[in-house]
Amino acid sequence: MAALEITGLRKAFGGVVALDGVDLSIPGDKITGVIGPNGSGKTTLFNVITGVFPPTSGRIEWQGEDITGMRSHQIARKGLIRTFQQAMSFPGLTVLENVRVAMERGERRGAGAGPRWPSAEAILDFVGLAGRGQEEAGSMPFGNLRRLGVAVALAANPVLLLLDEPAAGLSDNEANTLTELIIKLPQMGIGVCLIDHHMTFMTALCTRLVVLDFGTKIADGAPAGVLKDPKVTEVYLGGEL
Amino acid sequence: MEYRELEMSTPNGELGKSAQSAAGKTSKTPNQGQKGRLATHGRLEQIIVAVVIVVAMAALPSLHIGYRFLSIAITTGYTAIALYGLGLQFGQAGIMSVGHAAMIGIGAYVAAMLFVHFGVGFWVALPASIIVAAIAGGLVGLPSLRVAGQHYIIITFCFCALLVVCLTNGGSLTGAATGLDVGSIGSVFGINFDKLANYYYLVLVALALSLAIFYAIANSSYGRTLRAIRENEQLARAIGVNIDLQKISVFMVSGAFAGAAGILQAYYLRHISPTLYGAFPSLYLALMVMLGGARLIYGPLIGAIIVNFLPEVMNLNPVDSRIAYGVALLIVILLLPGGVSAGLLDIYRWLTARSRALFGKAGLAP
Repeated sequence: MAALEITGLRKAFGGVVALDGVDLSIPGDKITGVIGPNGSGKTTLFNVITGVFPPTSGRIEWQGEDITGMRSHQIARKGLIRTFQQAMSFPGLTVLENVRVAMERGERRGAGAGPRWPSAEAILDFVGLAGRGQEEAGSMPFGNLRRLGVAVALAANPVLLLLDEPAAGLSDNEANTLTELIIKLPQMGIGVCLIDHHMTFMTALCTRLVVLDFGTKIADGAPAGVLKDPKVTEVYLGGEL
Repeated sequence: MEYRELEMSTPNGELGKSAQSAAGKTSKTPNQGQKGRLATHGRLEQIIVAVVIVVAMAALPSLHIGYRFLSIAITTGYTAIALYGLGLQFGQAGIMSVGHAAMIGIGAYVAAMLFVHFGVGFWVALPASIIVAAIAGGLVGLPSLRVAGQHYIIITFCFCALLVVCLTNGGSLTGAATGLDVGSIGSVFGINFDKLANYYYLVLVALALSLAIFYAIANSSYGRTLRAIRENEQLARAIGVNIDLQKISVFMVSGAFAGAAGILQAYYLRHISPTLYGAFPSLYLALMVMLGGARLIYGPLIGAIIVNFLPEVMNLNPVDSRIAYGVALLIVILLLPGGVSAGLLDIYRWLTARSRALFGKAGLAP
């Protein structure tokens, strides 16, 4: 069963149509990838799903409940947690405090589908930041900040984790570590939906790819098939080669 | 306690940073790790400092320091109570207000109006003042959900001006420009609060309570959530923090502190008028909290002491003292973005690091 069911989602900013009638269902037990050229509406999709701004029209259903137009924190409390394209943290707090703030929110919500972390340190261990709990988040190098972003999101006890370009700006090595981390999540009961440009990263992770172009879905299916789709190659490579 | 990234510091934050790295290798010891918390040094040291301060302040009246000195101590006391509220709002949630005297004014006027119109005394008016000021704080906080930063600061300033206009034109209800006379607390359990020393103790108890509440909040998960909002609203929202609710709550807490300060002021002065709660007193409150430092436990108290006692100790006239405050504020913003309290803590850390280096690790380990 699809955990997140999106029907006819449309978002216009004045005359600019960022999303133009997207239908999408994202399962809660798999890794779904969303790709598309710059400006195709990927991040807008995440923003609308998580209530950063309301859709112009269309409907978003989460676990059978209509969440269209709900506010961000309400949606987050239902287990839909997102990360941001820019590596975000609470820079003035320690790494451990960053995770604890999120963990409290997750715990308050009660049991999600995901694992119950015994402690904030366990989450830091999981993302590879063990022993760095006392560091100030704002003083960490970029790669670690990305890990912290994932740690904070995991601490908030997600049922479905929306990752917005988690590999952006990472070295190949760092991206590989991140792959190993993300691939474990579905087994732990956390569904993943991720946006990225990094193709090797995406094909290694996703069991399904959705391609957006100019706010519409142009392909949806297993990665191998989708990448051979002429519409997709046209978007990425500019037509027949 | 982290203070380096104080909002005011922008380009000069670097100075603060170098000052901190000059503060010695302590910044690498694990004990330092509790940044963002108030507890940076050992629990024992904290308790010693608190006991010393309480004893020193409690002993003040018995030192025969004179009427004037004690009066200033009382003023410092109730001002500091309001500053602890502002300290939570500014230091934890990161929202400054330059209209905070208005909140004190609401507390004071509620008490005075209850006395004049209904004959209600101090002890009944106390919760009323606190509650009304808290509600007013929440209402004034509402625009902060829409506008941030300097824009909101201007709104607080406007509110303060508006309140003065309302009080001045309030007719017999608010006593107009002349203000209202307030009665005395009288005697409770044989303690006569008309005696200055006893009133001082009353303010001191209230101050100790505010300090304790400030400490408890800053070290609670509520405080941590406020700091998270201060650091990154967008992320806080994304993990499920109800930003609006949390912000309004801290405005209410801050208003409650100011309400308590207001009624203590009203019953101390025995007469209040609108000018007490205008722009200048508000700016002084902002000045005090920035001078002292809003994030550290003794910051607001230090700020109140400096601003209230400095003109007295140095014999400054009002004009000179204003110039002195202006210069002092500039120096603090440029060199000590965390306020004087943070500067003192840096010196303390530097000294302990030094003594540790000199006498070996066993010497003065915390």
